[in-house]
Amino acid sequence: MPVEFKDYYATLGVTRDASDDDIKKAFRKLARQYHPDVARDKKTAEERFKEINEANEVLSDPVKRRKYDELGAHWQEDGRTPSPPGSEGRRPQAPNDWQAREFHFTGTGFSDFFEQFFGGGRGFGFEPDGPDSAAESHAAGRPGADIEGEILVTLDEVMHGTTRAISLRNLNPRTGQAETHSFQVRIPAGAIEGRRIRVPGKGEPGGGGARAGDLYLRVRYAAHPDFRVRGADLYHDVDLAPWEAVLGTTVVAPSFEGAIKVHLPPATQPGAQLRVRGHGLPKGRGGERGDLYVVANIQVPPRLTAKERALWEELSRTSQFNPREPL
Amino acid sequence: MEETDQSSSAAPPPFEPMVEDAYSIETVVHITQTPRHQIAVYCRHGLIAPVTAPEREGWWFDQEAIRELRRIESLRHHYGMNLAALRVCVELYREVERLREEVRALRHS
Repeated sequence: MPVEFKDYYATLGVTRDASDDDIKKAFRKLARQYHPDVARDKKTAEERFKEINEANEVLSDPVKRRKYDELGAHWQEDGRTPSPPGSEGRRPQAPNDWQAREFHFTGTGFSDFFEQFFGGGRGFGFEPDGPDSAAESHAAGRPGADIEGEILVTLDEVMHGTTRAISLRNLNPRTGQAETHSFQVRIPAGAIEGRRIRVPGKGEPGGGGARAGDLYLRVRYAAHPDFRVRGADLYHDVDLAPWEAVLGTTVVAPSFEGAIKVHLPPATQPGAQLRVRGHGLPKGRGGERGDLYVVANIQVPPRLTAKERALWEELSRTSQFNPREPL
Repeated sequence: MEETDQSSSAAPPPFEPMVEDAYSIETVVHITQTPRHQIAVYCRHGLIAPVTAPEREGWWFDQEAIRELRRIESLRHHYGMNLAALRVCVELYREVERLREEVRALRHS
Protein backbone atom coordinates (compact mmCIF):
# COMPACT_ATOMS: atom_id res chain seq x y z
CA MET A 1 0.00 0.00 0.00
CA PRO A 2 1.79 3.22 -1.08
CA VAL A 3 2.34 5.87 1.51
CA GLU A 4 2.63 9.60 1.10
CA PHE A 5 6.06 11.14 1.69
CA LYS A 6 6.15 13.53 4.65
CA ASP A 7 8.40 16.57 4.47
CA TYR A 8 9.24 16.88 8.15
CA TYR A 9 11.51 19.88 7.59
CA ALA A 10 8.64 21.80 6.00
CA THR A 11 6.33 20.72 8.84
CA LEU A 12 8.63 22.34 11.40
CA GLY A 13 9.48 25.22 9.06
CA VAL A 14 13.24 24.64 9.24
CA THR A 15 15.87 24.12 6.57
CA ARG A 16 17.51 20.75 5.96
CA ASP A 17 20.75 21.95 7.58
CA ALA A 18 18.97 23.18 10.71
CA SER A 19 20.83 22.52 13.96
CA ASP A 20 19.37 20.41 16.79
CA ASP A 21 18.75 23.63 18.68
CA ASP A 22 16.86 25.16 15.73
CA ILE A 23 14.67 22.05 15.56
CA LYS A 24 14.01 22.12 19.29
CA LYS A 25 13.07 25.80 19.16
CA ALA A 26 10.84 25.34 16.10
CA PHE A 27 9.06 22.41 17.75
CA ARG A 28 8.50 24.27 21.02
CA LYS A 29 7.14 27.31 19.19
CA LEU A 30 4.69 25.27 17.12
CA ALA A 31 3.77 22.97 20.00
CA ARG A 32 2.81 25.97 22.14
CA GLN A 33 0.36 26.89 19.41
CA TYR A 34 -0.99 23.47 18.51
CA HIS A 35 -0.45 21.06 21.43
CA PRO A 36 -3.90 19.70 22.40
CA ASP A 37 -3.10 20.30 26.10
CA VAL A 38 -2.53 24.02 25.56
CA ALA A 39 -4.28 25.02 22.31
CA ARG A 40 -7.51 26.97 22.54
CA ASP A 41 -9.13 25.21 19.58
CA LYS A 42 -8.25 21.61 20.46
CA LYS A 43 -10.06 19.98 17.52
CA THR A 44 -8.26 21.92 14.80
CA ALA A 45 -4.98 21.82 16.66
CA GLU A 46 -4.93 18.06 17.15
CA GLU A 47 -4.28 17.03 13.56
CA ARG A 48 -1.63 19.70 13.09
CA PHE A 49 0.05 18.73 16.34
CA LYS A 50 0.32 15.07 15.29
CA GLU A 51 2.31 16.16 12.23
CA ILE A 52 4.51 18.46 14.32
CA ASN A 53 5.14 15.78 16.94
CA GLU A 54 5.97 13.20 14.29
CA ALA A 55 8.39 15.57 12.56
CA ASN A 56 10.06 16.34 15.89
CA GLU A 57 10.21 12.64 16.77
CA VAL A 58 12.25 11.98 13.64
CA LEU A 59 14.33 15.14 13.33
CA SER A 60 15.29 15.41 17.01
CA ASP A 61 16.72 11.89 16.99
CA PRO A 62 20.10 11.84 15.15
CA VAL A 63 19.69 8.21 14.03
CA LYS A 64 16.15 8.70 12.73
CA ARG A 65 17.11 11.99 11.12
CA ARG A 66 19.99 10.37 9.25
CA LYS A 67 17.68 7.60 8.01
CA TYR A 68 15.11 10.18 7.01
CA ASP A 69 17.68 12.22 5.08
CA GLU A 70 18.84 9.08 3.23
CA LEU A 71 15.24 8.17 2.52
CA GLY A 72 14.46 11.65 1.19
CA ALA A 73 17.29 11.36 -1.33
CA HIS A 74 15.98 8.06 -2.71
CA TRP A 75 12.27 8.60 -2.29
CA GLN A 76 10.33 6.49 -4.80
CA GLU A 77 13.29 5.98 -7.11
CA ASP A 78 12.16 4.07 -10.21
CA GLY A 79 8.59 4.63 -9.06
CA ARG A 80 8.87 2.07 -6.25
CA THR A 81 8.32 2.66 -2.58
CA PRO A 82 11.63 1.92 -0.83
CA SER A 83 12.02 -0.44 2.08
CA PRO A 84 12.17 1.10 5.50
CA PRO A 85 15.80 2.16 6.08
CA GLY A 86 17.73 -0.46 8.00
CA SER A 87 15.11 -3.14 7.33
CA GLU A 88 16.80 -4.77 4.38
CA GLY A 89 16.55 -8.53 4.54
CA ARG A 90 14.17 -8.49 7.48
CA ARG A 91 11.14 -9.65 5.53
CA PRO A 92 11.74 -12.90 3.76
CA GLN A 93 8.21 -13.23 2.37
CA ALA A 94 7.36 -12.62 -1.26
CA PRO A 95 6.06 -9.11 -1.99
CA ASN A 96 2.48 -10.29 -2.41
CA ASP A 97 2.49 -12.10 0.89
CA TRP A 98 4.07 -9.06 2.56
CA GLN A 99 1.27 -6.91 1.18
CA ALA A 100 -1.33 -9.38 2.37
CA ARG A 101 -0.01 -9.18 5.91
CA GLU A 102 0.19 -5.40 6.05
CA PHE A 103 -1.87 -3.47 8.60
CA HIS A 104 -2.62 0.22 8.80
CA PHE A 105 -3.76 2.05 11.87
CA THR A 106 -5.60 5.29 12.10
CA GLY A 107 -6.30 7.04 15.36
CA THR A 108 -2.97 6.11 16.96
CA GLY A 109 -1.47 9.52 16.30
CA PHE A 110 1.16 8.39 13.76
CA SER A 111 0.96 8.58 9.98
CA ASP A 112 1.36 5.54 7.71
CA PHE A 113 4.64 7.07 6.56
CA PHE A 114 5.99 7.14 10.11
CA GLU A 115 4.66 3.68 10.93
CA GLN A 116 6.33 2.22 7.88
CA PHE A 117 9.72 3.89 8.05
CA PHE A 118 10.30 4.74 11.69
CA GLY A 119 7.96 2.40 13.53
CA GLY A 120 10.57 -0.39 13.73
CA GLY A 121 8.17 -3.03 12.41
CA ARG A 122 5.18 -1.73 14.34
CA GLY A 123 1.86 -1.90 12.63
CA PHE A 124 2.59 -5.22 10.99
CA GLY A 125 1.61 -8.74 11.94
CA PHE A 126 3.99 -10.65 14.16
CA GLU A 127 4.61 -14.29 13.39
CA PRO A 128 3.80 -16.45 16.40
CA ASP A 129 6.44 -19.09 15.62
CA GLY A 130 8.82 -17.49 13.20
CA PRO A 131 8.40 -16.37 9.61
CA ASP A 132 7.84 -19.82 8.11
CA SER A 133 4.64 -20.35 10.01
CA ALA A 134 2.99 -17.29 8.50
CA ALA A 135 1.72 -18.93 5.37
CA GLU A 136 0.30 -21.87 7.30
CA SER A 137 -1.52 -19.89 9.96
CA HIS A 138 -4.62 -19.19 7.88
CA ALA A 139 -5.11 -22.72 6.71
CA ALA A 140 -4.31 -25.03 9.55
CA GLY A 141 -6.70 -23.86 12.28
CA ARG A 142 -3.98 -21.90 14.01
CA PRO A 143 -4.65 -18.83 16.13
CA GLY A 144 -4.05 -15.49 14.47
CA ALA A 145 -0.84 -13.57 15.08
CA ASP A 146 -0.66 -10.68 17.50
CA ILE A 147 -0.29 -7.19 16.11
CA GLU A 148 1.67 -4.47 17.82
CA GLY A 149 1.53 -0.77 17.22
CA GLU A 150 2.17 2.47 19.02
CA ILE A 151 -0.36 4.92 20.31
CA LEU A 152 0.51 8.56 20.82
CA VAL A 153 -0.98 10.04 23.97
CA THR A 154 -0.75 13.56 25.33
CA LEU A 155 0.18 14.19 28.95
CA ASP A 156 -3.31 15.50 29.56
CA GLU A 157 -4.66 12.13 28.47
CA VAL A 158 -2.17 10.42 30.79
CA MET A 159 -3.40 12.64 33.63
CA HIS A 160 -7.05 11.87 33.21
CA GLY A 161 -7.23 8.73 31.08
CA THR A 162 -9.09 8.68 27.80
CA THR A 163 -10.87 6.53 25.26
CA ARG A 164 -9.58 6.55 21.71
CA ALA A 165 -11.23 5.41 18.48
CA ILE A 166 -8.83 3.19 16.53
CA SER A 167 -9.32 1.88 13.00
CA LEU A 168 -7.31 -1.07 11.84
CA ARG A 169 -7.27 -1.68 8.09
CA ASN A 170 -5.86 -4.85 6.66
CA LEU A 171 -6.14 -7.04 3.59
CA ASN A 172 -8.02 -10.26 4.16
CA PRO A 173 -5.69 -12.99 2.85
CA ARG A 174 -8.65 -15.18 1.79
CA THR A 175 -10.74 -12.62 -0.05
CA GLY A 176 -8.00 -10.15 -0.96
CA GLN A 177 -10.38 -7.36 0.14
CA ALA A 178 -9.40 -4.49 2.41
CA GLU A 179 -11.24 -4.65 5.72
CA THR A 180 -11.52 -1.93 8.33
CA HIS A 181 -12.18 -2.71 11.97
CA SER A 182 -13.04 0.19 14.23
CA PHE A 183 -13.10 -0.06 17.99
CA GLN A 184 -12.51 1.93 21.15
CA VAL A 185 -9.40 1.62 23.26
CA ARG A 186 -9.33 2.88 26.81
CA ILE A 187 -6.07 4.49 27.89
CA PRO A 188 -6.02 4.40 31.69
CA ALA A 189 -4.87 7.41 33.70
CA GLY A 190 -1.21 7.06 34.63
CA ALA A 191 -0.34 4.82 31.66
CA ILE A 192 3.45 4.96 31.69
CA GLU A 193 5.44 5.30 28.50
CA GLY A 194 6.23 1.94 26.95
CA ARG A 195 3.26 0.23 28.61
CA ARG A 196 1.48 -2.17 26.28
CA ILE A 197 -2.28 -2.02 26.21
CA ARG A 198 -3.80 -5.33 25.13
CA VAL A 199 -6.93 -5.34 23.01
CA PRO A 200 -8.05 -8.98 22.93
CA GLY A 201 -9.13 -10.48 19.63
CA LYS A 202 -8.19 -7.46 17.50
CA GLY A 203 -5.07 -9.03 16.02
CA GLU A 204 -4.81 -11.10 12.88
CA PRO A 205 -7.81 -13.42 12.25
CA GLY A 206 -7.21 -17.09 13.11
CA GLY A 207 -7.25 -19.77 10.42
CA GLY A 208 -9.83 -22.54 10.32
CA GLY A 209 -12.03 -21.10 13.04
CA ALA A 210 -9.22 -20.58 15.53
CA ARG A 211 -9.18 -17.48 17.70
CA ALA A 212 -7.86 -14.16 16.43
CA GLY A 213 -4.62 -12.73 17.79
CA ASP A 214 -4.48 -9.75 20.10
CA LEU A 215 -3.62 -6.16 19.38
CA TYR A 216 -0.98 -4.56 21.57
CA LEU A 217 -0.68 -0.80 21.60
CA ARG A 218 2.49 0.58 23.15
CA VAL A 219 2.02 3.95 24.82
CA ARG A 220 4.19 6.77 23.51
CA TYR A 221 4.01 10.23 25.04
CA ALA A 222 3.65 13.17 22.69
CA ALA A 223 6.40 15.69 23.33
CA HIS A 224 5.06 18.58 25.40
CA PRO A 225 6.20 22.19 24.92
CA ASP A 226 6.48 22.79 28.67
CA PHE A 227 7.41 19.47 30.24
CA ARG A 228 9.90 16.66 29.93
CA VAL A 229 8.85 13.38 31.47
CA ARG A 230 10.83 10.87 33.48
CA GLY A 231 8.71 8.12 34.97
CA ALA A 232 5.85 9.91 36.70
CA ASP A 233 7.91 13.07 37.27
CA LEU A 234 7.65 16.17 35.11
CA TYR A 235 10.51 18.57 34.47
CA HIS A 236 9.95 22.19 33.51
CA ASP A 237 12.90 24.36 32.45
CA VAL A 238 12.69 27.93 33.59
CA ASP A 239 15.05 30.55 32.16
CA LEU A 240 16.53 32.90 34.74
CA ALA A 241 18.58 36.07 34.46
CA PRO A 242 21.86 35.82 36.42
CA TRP A 243 20.65 38.35 39.01
CA GLU A 244 17.41 36.41 39.49
CA ALA A 245 19.45 33.29 40.25
CA VAL A 246 21.67 35.21 42.67
CA LEU A 247 18.99 37.21 44.47
CA GLY A 248 16.11 34.75 44.22
CA THR A 249 12.90 35.44 42.35
CA THR A 250 9.34 34.37 41.80
CA VAL A 251 8.37 32.62 38.59
CA VAL A 252 5.10 31.32 37.24
CA ALA A 253 5.35 27.71 36.14
CA PRO A 254 2.70 25.63 34.39
CA SER A 255 1.23 22.55 36.03
CA PHE A 256 -1.75 20.34 35.29
CA GLU A 257 -3.58 21.97 38.21
CA GLY A 258 -3.12 25.39 36.63
CA ALA A 259 -0.25 27.85 36.87
CA ILE A 260 1.74 27.98 40.09
CA LYS A 261 3.83 30.73 41.62
CA VAL A 262 7.20 29.30 42.62
CA HIS A 263 9.58 31.16 44.93
CA LEU A 264 13.13 30.43 43.87
CA PRO A 265 15.63 30.95 46.68
CA PRO A 266 18.70 33.21 46.49
CA ALA A 267 21.84 31.50 45.10
CA THR A 268 19.90 29.16 42.81
CA GLN A 269 22.57 27.22 40.91
CA PRO A 270 22.44 26.42 37.17
CA GLY A 271 20.58 23.14 36.65
CA ALA A 272 19.14 23.21 40.20
CA GLN A 273 16.00 21.08 40.41
CA LEU A 274 13.34 22.39 42.73
CA ARG A 275 10.74 19.84 43.62
CA VAL A 276 7.05 20.62 43.75
CA ARG A 277 5.58 17.53 45.35
CA GLY A 278 2.59 15.78 43.90
CA HIS A 279 2.31 17.86 40.73
CA GLY A 280 3.57 15.14 38.38
CA LEU A 281 1.74 12.40 36.51
CA PRO A 282 -0.41 9.78 38.26
CA LYS A 283 1.38 6.64 39.44
CA GLY A 284 -0.98 3.85 38.52
CA ARG A 285 -4.39 3.56 40.18
CA GLY A 286 -3.54 4.43 43.77
CA GLY A 287 -4.03 8.18 43.36
CA GLU A 288 -0.36 8.79 44.07
CA ARG A 289 1.33 11.40 41.88
CA GLY A 290 4.86 12.01 40.75
CA ASP A 291 6.58 15.36 41.32
CA LEU A 292 7.13 18.42 39.19
CA TYR A 293 10.71 19.64 39.04
CA VAL A 294 11.39 23.25 38.14
CA VAL A 295 14.86 23.27 36.59
CA ALA A 296 16.87 26.51 36.71
CA ASN A 297 18.34 27.40 33.35
CA ILE A 298 20.47 30.51 33.78
CA GLN A 299 20.75 32.69 30.70
CA VAL A 300 23.53 35.19 30.16
CA PRO A 301 22.54 38.40 28.34
CA PRO A 302 23.94 38.20 24.79
CA ARG A 303 24.26 41.99 24.48
CA LEU A 304 24.82 44.76 27.02
CA THR A 305 24.08 48.43 27.02
CA ALA A 306 26.88 50.75 28.11
CA LYS A 307 25.19 51.23 31.48
CA GLU A 308 24.75 47.49 32.00
CA ARG A 309 28.39 46.87 31.11
CA ALA A 310 29.48 49.52 33.62
CA LEU A 311 27.38 47.86 36.33
CA TRP A 312 28.76 44.38 35.59
CA GLU A 313 32.29 45.81 35.63
CA GLU A 314 31.63 47.43 38.97
CA LEU A 315 30.28 44.13 40.27
CA SER A 316 33.37 42.29 39.03
CA ARG A 317 35.57 44.72 40.97
CA THR A 318 33.47 44.53 44.12
CA SER A 319 32.55 40.84 44.28
CA GLN A 320 34.58 38.41 46.40
CA PHE A 321 33.19 35.43 44.48
CA ASN A 322 35.75 33.21 42.81
CA PRO A 323 34.25 30.29 40.88
CA ARG A 324 37.75 28.79 40.31
CA GLU A 325 39.00 28.80 43.85
CA PRO A 326 42.17 26.66 44.17
CA LEU A 327 41.45 23.19 45.53
CA MET B 1 10.99 0.19 32.60
CA GLU B 2 12.00 0.87 36.21
CA GLU B 3 15.04 3.13 36.36
CA THR B 4 17.18 3.58 39.39
CA ASP B 5 19.33 6.61 39.84
CA GLN B 6 22.52 5.42 41.55
CA SER B 7 23.58 8.93 42.45
CA SER B 8 20.30 9.87 44.12
CA SER B 9 20.93 7.80 47.27
CA ALA B 10 23.91 9.96 48.23
CA ALA B 11 22.57 13.29 46.94
CA PRO B 12 20.76 15.63 49.34
CA PRO B 13 17.00 15.78 48.91
CA PRO B 14 15.95 18.37 46.34
CA PHE B 15 14.98 21.81 47.60
CA GLU B 16 11.23 22.27 47.84
CA PRO B 17 10.29 25.90 47.14
CA MET B 18 7.22 27.64 48.47
CA VAL B 19 4.46 27.28 45.91
CA GLU B 20 1.16 29.11 45.54
CA ASP B 21 -1.50 29.10 42.87
CA ALA B 22 -1.17 31.74 40.17
CA TYR B 23 -4.05 33.06 38.11
CA SER B 24 -3.97 34.49 34.62
CA ILE B 25 -5.67 37.83 34.06
CA GLU B 26 -8.47 36.01 32.17
CA THR B 27 -9.15 33.90 35.26
CA VAL B 28 -9.07 36.98 37.51
CA VAL B 29 -11.55 38.73 35.20
CA HIS B 30 -13.78 35.66 35.41
CA ILE B 31 -13.71 35.18 39.17
CA THR B 32 -13.90 38.85 40.22
CA GLN B 33 -16.09 40.08 37.34
CA THR B 34 -13.72 43.04 36.98
CA PRO B 35 -12.95 44.18 33.41
CA ARG B 36 -9.44 43.55 32.18
CA HIS B 37 -8.67 47.22 31.55
CA GLN B 38 -9.81 48.09 35.08
CA ILE B 39 -7.35 45.55 36.50
CA ALA B 40 -4.61 47.08 34.33
CA VAL B 41 -5.49 50.56 35.67
CA TYR B 42 -5.25 49.33 39.29
CA CYS B 43 -1.87 47.78 38.49
CA ARG B 44 -0.63 50.98 36.88
CA HIS B 45 -1.58 52.94 40.02
CA GLY B 46 0.10 50.40 42.31
CA LEU B 47 -3.14 49.29 43.98
CA ILE B 48 -2.53 45.65 43.11
CA ALA B 49 0.58 43.97 41.72
CA PRO B 50 1.01 41.07 39.33
CA VAL B 51 3.25 38.20 40.39
CA THR B 52 5.81 38.73 37.63
CA ALA B 53 6.76 41.47 35.19
CA PRO B 54 3.83 41.58 32.71
CA GLU B 55 5.93 42.79 29.77
CA ARG B 56 8.14 39.70 30.00
CA GLU B 57 5.91 36.95 31.33
CA GLY B 58 2.32 38.11 30.95
CA TRP B 59 -0.22 39.05 33.57
CA TRP B 60 -0.33 36.63 36.51
CA PHE B 61 -1.80 37.24 39.94
CA ASP B 62 -1.81 35.44 43.28
CA GLN B 63 -4.57 35.04 45.85
CA GLU B 64 -3.44 38.11 47.76
CA ALA B 65 -3.89 40.25 44.64
CA ILE B 66 -7.38 38.83 44.12
CA ARG B 67 -8.31 39.63 47.74
CA GLU B 68 -6.99 43.14 47.29
CA LEU B 69 -8.86 43.55 44.01
CA ARG B 70 -12.15 42.48 45.61
CA ARG B 71 -11.64 44.96 48.42
CA ILE B 72 -10.90 47.81 45.98
CA GLU B 73 -13.92 47.00 43.83
CA SER B 74 -16.12 46.88 46.91
CA LEU B 75 -14.89 50.33 48.05
CA ARG B 76 -15.44 51.75 44.61
CA HIS B 77 -18.98 50.34 44.26
CA HIS B 78 -20.24 51.07 47.77
CA TYR B 79 -18.59 54.41 48.42
CA GLY B 80 -17.96 55.73 44.92
CA MET B 81 -14.26 56.23 45.63
CA ASN B 82 -11.97 57.58 42.94
CA LEU B 83 -8.42 56.29 42.37
CA ALA B 84 -6.82 58.79 44.76
CA ALA B 85 -9.21 57.82 47.56
CA LEU B 86 -8.71 54.14 46.80
CA ARG B 87 -4.96 54.55 47.07
CA VAL B 88 -5.28 56.20 50.51
CA CYS B 89 -7.58 53.39 51.65
CA VAL B 90 -5.32 50.65 50.33
CA GLU B 91 -2.28 52.21 52.01
CA LEU B 92 -4.19 52.47 55.29
CA TYR B 93 -5.31 48.84 55.04
CA ARG B 94 -1.71 47.78 54.44
CA GLU B 95 -0.50 49.85 57.38
CA VAL B 96 -3.16 48.33 59.63
CA GLU B 97 -2.12 44.83 58.47
CA ARG B 98 1.53 45.61 59.13
CA LEU B 99 0.76 46.93 62.64
CA ARG B 100 -1.42 43.90 63.42
CA GLU B 101 1.48 41.64 62.41
CA GLU B 102 3.78 43.61 64.68
CA VAL B 103 1.36 43.38 67.61
CA ARG B 104 1.01 39.61 67.07
CA ALA B 105 4.78 39.20 67.00
CA LEU B 106 5.23 41.27 70.18
CA ARG B 107 2.53 39.30 72.02
CA HIS B 108 4.27 36.02 71.16
CA SER B 109 7.76 37.20 72.10
